[in-house]
Formats: sequence, structure tokens, C-alpha cells
Amino acid sequence: MSKVVEISPTTRHEGHSKLVLKVNDQGIIETGNWCSITPVRGVEKLAVGKTPEQVPKIASRVCGICPIAHNLAATEAMEASIKCEIPKDAKMLRHILQLANRLHSIALHDILILPDLYIPGTEVMINPFTAEEPVRTVAKRIQRLREIGQTVGQIAGGDCIHPRNTRVGGMYRNCSEQAKTKMYDLAKEGLVLAKAQMDFMIAVLRNYQARESVTVGGMKVALPKTLGYHNQGYLATDAFYGSSSLDECPTWDIDRFKEVRPWDWYMGEMEVSLEEPRYPVGGTTKLGTKVNPQMEACTGIPMYDGQPVEVGPRARLVTYKNYDEKGTVGQNIAREMEYTDSLYEMIDCIDALNPDGKVVADYIPDGDGSLGWASNEAPRGTDVHITRVKDWKVQYFSMLVPTTWNFATCSAALTGAPWQLAEVIMRGYDPCVSCATHMIVVDEDNKLVAQKLIQ
Amino acid sequence: MADKITLGYTHLSGCTGCTVALADNYAGLLTLLDRYVDLKYMPTLADVRHVQKVDVSFVEGSCCINDKLAVEELKETREKSTVVVALGGCACYGNITRFSRGGQQNQPQHEAYLPIGDIIKVDVYIPGCAPTPQMIRNVAVMAYLLLKGTKEQKELATAFLKPLMMAAQRGTTACFCELMTEVINQGLCMGCGSCASACPVNAITHEYGKPQGERDLCIKCGACYNQCPRSWFSFDVVENYEAINEAIMAALQ
Amino acid sequence: MGAELGKYKACVSARSTDKEILKHAQDGGIVTSLLGYALDTGIIDGAIVAVNKEFAAKHQSLIMRDNTNWDMVEPWRPFPAVVSTKADLLAAAGTKYNISPNVSMIKEATRSFGLDKVGIVGTPCQMQAVRKLQLYPIGARDVGAAVALAVGIFCMENFPYQSILQLVEDHAAMKMESVKKMEIGKGKFWIYGKRGQVVQLPLKVTHKYEQPGCHVCLDYVANLGDISTGSVGSPDGWSTVFVRSKIGDSVWANAMAAGVFETQPIEKVKPGLELVTKLANEKITKNKNTLEARKTFGVGKALRSPYI
Repeated sequence: MSKVVEISPTTRHEGHSKLVLKVNDQGIIETGNWCSITPVRGVEKLAVGKTPEQVPKIASRVCGICPIAHNLAATEAMEASIKCEIPKDAKMLRHILQLANRLHSIALHDILILPDLYIPGTEVMINPFTAEEPVRTVAKRIQRLREIGQTVGQIAGGDCIHPRNTRVGGMYRNCSEQAKTKMYDLAKEGLVLAKAQMDFMIAVLRNYQARESVTVGGMKVALPKTLGYHNQGYLATDAFYGSSSLDECPTWDIDRFKEVRPWDWYMGEMEVSLEEPRYPVGGTTKLGTKVNPQMEACTGIPMYDGQPVEVGPRARLVTYKNYDEKGTVGQNIAREMEYTDSLYEMIDCIDALNPDGKVVADYIPDGDGSLGWASNEAPRGTDVHITRVKDWKVQYFSMLVPTTWNFATCSAALTGAPWQLAEVIMRGYDPCVSCATHMIVVDEDNKLVAQKLIQ
Repeated sequence: MADKITLGYTHLSGCTGCTVALADNYAGLLTLLDRYVDLKYMPTLADVRHVQKVDVSFVEGSCCINDKLAVEELKETREKSTVVVALGGCACYGNITRFSRGGQQNQPQHEAYLPIGDIIKVDVYIPGCAPTPQMIRNVAVMAYLLLKGTKEQKELATAFLKPLMMAAQRGTTACFCELMTEVINQGLCMGCGSCASACPVNAITHEYGKPQGERDLCIKCGACYNQCPRSWFSFDVVENYEAINEAIMAALQ
Repeated sequence: MGAELGKYKACVSARSTDKEILKHAQDGGIVTSLLGYALDTGIIDGAIVAVNKEFAAKHQSLIMRDNTNWDMVEPWRPFPAVVSTKADLLAAAGTKYNISPNVSMIKEATRSFGLDKVGIVGTPCQMQAVRKLQLYPIGARDVGAAVALAVGIFCMENFPYQSILQLVEDHAAMKMESVKKMEIGKGKFWIYGKRGQVVQLPLKVTHKYEQPGCHVCLDYVANLGDISTGSVGSPDGWSTVFVRSKIGDSVWANAMAAGVFETQPIEKVKPGLELVTKLANEKITKNKNTLEARKTFGVGKALRSPYI
């Protein structure tokens, strides 16, 4: 007989979400539903009627971990709708800003997953905040990498959490020669640290992968070799930055996309029939509690070619670099591999930046209501914003954010794993739940959303 | 030094930018955790899943009053904390959630968002979007001194925190409009430029020496109003800026 | 000495030893020389100063405006700018006598300008703003620790631009374009023309034009600067200098050792500290009275006081 266990709220990621798991007698997940329970702030709806200048600033505040991706995707969607080409140096600044955010985000994610992992050769699970070595050195390195990322972002974009100097039509300011040098020095320092950090994390992840079992809240749990495997396919729009409907050859196709309500995908009302008080910390949901993912989920289910897909670092590596490792460990290792990559690319962009170049377009149209979209590769995956701007007012705004894609994909990846490791699989997606809490057009007749948009 | 203070972190309808700001104390965060602060509850960073009894709670985000869970969590936070700090523009003033008006799938009824001060009593404000790592650090160190310090340290901490407590008492509205109504309209603005530099969306410029706010850009975070030296200013604290800065830096050495 | 002059470690009468600076500067060339020295020696890597329209139009990357039609900008309007060379600093020298929101640049200086060590010049209220944002950095992330030198200038009150325009064009019957220098001293507002003419206006004429926000200010000699300076108290061509903070003390000692300034003991010069004290007390008393009057301004309604 299957039993139902619920882990709520899930921890060590952004936002509020929960896992509802139907498990067999051995505790192996038969069906897993991972869903957002973050209140829906309704950013896509409140955007309507506002100016295209303000909406990207609000979009940024949808998520404080990948705000840059939201801000840039929204800004560039506006530019795509009004058909505004921005100067090359503004593009360079945006690239630098975006890569800086990726650097900080990868480092932050290291802090979040380390408690699931072991110091190689020991049974000691890693507390990233302990003052003891070797962990303290690693924690300091992580924080320095984050500092480098945030400082570079601050220089290129005015501020690093929510960027201030991006604007429709380009950037408010270019950087001075002095600022360029500073970014350069920081990136070079970061490269050395990132290499060391990447090697460390990969070693720790490989060590985890080689284990027969792991301990969760005192319970010994067998570690399957296929932890986190799924067959949902991948979506990425660029190895680094993104794409937009202004591009000559866009890498995302709105016609291949549609979104449905969770009603079709999640389980209906059930009762919790398995409770585990040992599950850290505070135990799982009490026996007899009614759960209803269908009703409670705060996101929709986006699909590309009719199926949920995975987005994120592995999707980028698979799409652009023939990376081929499946599972949770493969996903985390892909993220680590983006460390150095993002710094090499950052250095190239800083090199290409001309501090004397102009950074605002000469002419910024008011918009005629055309559909425009832009994607930005957030640290945790493809972030697509779609908009229509007419007479300098936003008529329609929609955000298709990374973790929304990953909710359904990750739910599929839970199948076959011991339920105690569901959170480990989920964390592999580096979820950002606040931003995922959005849904595009309701799709009752299973009609293509894109058709509705284009009509 | 005495033992650490316990800290909780309740995350409501915010974006986690405030959490990132806390983490952006970089090595200083590790020092804070080593010496002054025992992190009891913060689901974003650690595994404890339910609100705990603590000395100080940071609350990030505004509260959706149409979401039972959020309201319960907020009330529970108040009941279980000696000091509640509203962290960031959303918790203090609503910030972008002031614009929310519901109607979005999959929970179209999530319509009404309030700054936490409209639902519970809040002791200390840290406004700004995002709030700054240094401001969070200063409040954390001062909260420690207030609860665990010597008599002199308690006095210093009280003086330092007083304006932020008064900000919490003042109310749950602050944006560029308050800069107009409470400073410029009151004949207090002298054109220093603080507001423009504080604005996180470049909505403020200065025309002929006085602030010009682009109200269609303003996100209602309250940074400009609270950074203004003519919104509130404590001579007792600011005249000792050197000693206080040194004390904070020394605490983190 | 009472609290009216703030805390200070030393007070002297000083002037720059650089003849070129003295030619451009307001009084003893203290601000320009000090920042120039700080730039040369790496104490700061850039400074926020008020520049004039001509400079701003020519160096738009150093200021914050966009969308400005420079043909429409009036002469003698100041703009805050971040300068990082001595030549630019020299071009900015001289008091502008109307509001330059210098603090508005303080965050950007550490961002797209790439400064690690910021110098800033400002009035007493701007020094208060800088200290507030160091202690309470609500919207000033990573700025406080980057402020490497804050130089305050004495200030009785400031004027909106249009006030200066009326004083010069109506009361003094001169064109703004032909003004070479403005100065407040010896109880008068002095306007010097480019062709050599000099007009003096009694201060009672200027009072009405003052910025209202100045009337609640309780600081005359920039108590919160690292170093603060102004002409009052020293002979013509010299400036009074207060060295206040640890930073100020070390910068001043090094600048003296490098021969940047010549000094005389403040006790030996006329009119000396006595006048500074008198004016400080006048300002503080007058403005405390204003604050008192604000409490009973309406019928059962007070005007706000910022001070807690």
C-alpha cells in the first residue's frame, strides 16, 4: 500500500515550497509533487498599465537571488516590444552584470547544499558555518567569491541585489576606466578562487556519489545510483546570456511553448499517512493532515513541445557543450563547472567594454503594442519575459521563470528515490520559488498560449 | 562576553533580497555567527522548519492577508520573539507589494498585502530595497549589545536603535511622497542629495538643488525618506560617529 | 570653548603654498589643495565636488545628469561631479553659493566610477548626511567605509539658484555671465565682476532669499567633517581650519609635512576664533528659536522637527 508523506516547508532554498510524496512500503517515491506555496504577489497583473521603465524594476524584486535575470529579461522584453536596439557597450555592461550575478549565485548555492554532503573520507556532514577547518577556509572562499561577484555587479549595474543602472534603451551610465580596471582585477582574483572552489565541490560531490548510503535524521538511507534521474529533456537559450525576439535567429520559440494549470499535473486531495518525527528538523507533516497539491500549488506547469523540461546549468551544458551526466550529482557538478566559465566570459566582456562608448540608444520608441519577448539565462535556468508595450504603457506582461519550468521536471525526477532524499534532489535545481510563483495565460482549451498572445 | 543572542528569520512575501543582503556581510557574517548571533530559525539557510522562540526575529516581506499560513506565521513570530525587526522595504512599507491587486493564477485571491506593522507590533525598522548589509550588521551588533552588553553598551545600543524604533512607530507608509510631505513641504529640505543616492531605482534627481521624484518609477521602499538627514537625525548618535563606527568594526575583527 | 564649534583636535589659520591654486580658489585654497594632496598621495582616488556648467557640459561622464540641454542651463549653476585629477579639481575650485547636492553622487562614486576611497566636500548639513549614511546606511550599501576624506565648509545658509539670480541681476544689477566670484564676508555679500567691478550687498537684503531648510540647521562650522574650513576668523587670503577626526588629523599632519600649507596659530590672527564662535552662536541661537517657533506654528499643530 502506498503512503503519503509531506515535507513542508522545504528548506535551504529561496521561497516557500513543499513536497508531497506518495511512497511504497520501502519508502521509495512512486509519485512526487513539488509545489510552491508562496503567496502570489501578482507581478504580471500589477504590471499592466505601468510604464515599461518601472516594470523591469518591479520584476527585479520578484526574486532577490536572480534579480538580475528578471530585470534584464523584463528590460529586454520591453525593448523587443518597442523595437529598440541598444548600443554595444550597454550590452557589454549587461553581460558583465549578469555573469557577476551567476558567480555569486553559484557560490550561495554551495552554502545551501553543503549540509547534505560529507567531508570526503569521513562520516562528518558539512556545516558551512562551523569555525572548524577545513570548512572555514571553504566558507571564507565562498564568501569572497560572492563578494567579487556582487562588487563587479555593483560596478556594472549600479547595485548588485536589485540593479539600479539598467534602463529601457540601454544603461544609465557607462563605467570609468578606473572602474573597468577594478572589475578586471576582481575577475582575475575570482578565477583563481573559483577554480579551487570548483575542484573542492566536485570532489565532495563525487565522494557523495560513491557512497552506498547516507544518514538523514539518524535514519540510514540507501543511496540509489540513479538519484534524480529523469527523461524530460532540456531547454537553454544560450550558454551564457540569452536571446530575444529582436534577434536574427532567436533560440527560443514561443510557438513551442504552452502552460497549463497544476490541476492536470498534480495529485488531488489526500491524507498524510506517514509521519516521521526524526526528519530534520521538526519532522514531517502530522498524520491525518489533508493535503491537496492541485489546489495549493501556486504555479502553473509550463511545457516545451508538450512536456516539462529541465532548465539551468546542466541544460546549458547539455545544449551547448554536449555535457551528458544525469541525476542530481551531475546537475550539481554542471553548476560547479559554470564557475570558471562565467569568469572567463566576464573577463572577455570587460575587455570588450569601451568606457567612452555611449550606453543609451539615440531613439527610444513608445511602442505600438507588438509582442516582444526576451530570455535571460538566470543561474538556475531560462527566464523568459513576454510583453506588449503601447504608447509607453505596458499592456501585457508575463514571466516564465526558471523554477516554474523545473517544478514539474523535478517532480518527475523524484520517482524512484527514497523519500528522505527528496529535498536533496530538489536542491539540485537551486530553486527560487518566489519568482516561480507566476503563471502565464490560463489554457483551458489546451490552446497554444502563443496563439492567444499573437492574436 | 556573554553568550550569543538567538535570531529567527521569518520569510513572508519578500524576494529573499534581504537574505542576500544579510549574507553579503561576507566574512563578517561568519564572525557574527561565531560570536554574537545564534541562528535558530531561518529556512533559507538552515533546516529548522518552524518558527522558534528567539530574542530577535527579522521578518522579510509583507504579509498576504489572504494567505492563512502567512498570517499565522507572522503572529507566531511576534509571540515567540522579544524583538521583532521589520527587514526591508516590503516588511516596513509594503514596497512593490503595495501595487499588488490580485487576479493572478494560480491563486487569484491573493490580493491584499500589508506591511507587517499593520498586523503586529514591530519594534525596529530596517528599510530599503534591498536593505544594506552594513545596516543589518549594525542592528545585529546593537541588538547584541542591548541584550547582552554592559550598562554603557546598553545605553549606546538604545541610543542607536531609538530612531529605528521611532521609524517603526511612525507608520507603514514611506516613499518619495513622504519626502515631499514630511520634509520638503515642512520646509526642511536643504538639498544635500542623500535621497537621490539612496534611491534604488534612480527615481530621484535634483533640479535646481531640490529633489525631483519620478513617481512612476518609485517602488515605495522608503529608503529616500529614511536616509534623509531631515527625516530624522540624532545628534547623540551621529556626533559620536567615529567611536560607534570603531566599536562596530572592532566587534567584527 | 562651547559646543558651537564641535569637537576638534586642532585649529589653525592656513593657506595653500600653491600659487596656482590660490589664484583660482575662494580664500586660502584649503579645499582644493587638500583634495589635490589627497589625490596625489592616494588617500583618495576621486572626489565629489561642485563644478560649473562649462565643466559639466564638457565632462558629462563625470556628472549624473542625462537629458540636459546645456544651452538652457544658466551660468553659476553648480553640478556635483566626481573628479580624479588635479586639473579637474582646479577647474572646480571656488564657492558657488547655491545648492549642489554633492551627496547625491556618493553611492555612484563607488559604483560606475570605481572609487575605493572617496573624497567629498560639502556644507555642514552634507557632512551630517554623510555621517548619517555611515551609521545608518539605509540606502547606501558599501559606501560608508569608502568615504576616505570628508571636508566640510563653514556655512551660515545657502541659496536656491533663483535667489542668487535675483541678488546678482536685480539687487546688484549685474549679469550672471559677467560674475567672476561671489563671497560672503565682513557682514556683506560681495559680487566681483569679470571686468573688475565690485558690488556689495548688506546681508539683510540676502536673508529673504535664503533656503528655508537652512533655518533649522544647528551647525555652522561643519562639526562632522574630518577637516572643516572657511574664511571666517582668518585674515584675507587665509582660511580657518579645524582638524576634527582621526582621519583628518592624519591627513592634515601629512599634508603639513609635505609643505602643502603654511599656517599661523589661530590665536595670533585677527579676528580669530572669537568671531567664529560669535557667528556660530548667532546661527545656532537663531535656528533654535526657529525650531521652537515651529512647535507652536499652527493652532494646536506643530511643524516637524527632524531632531531626536
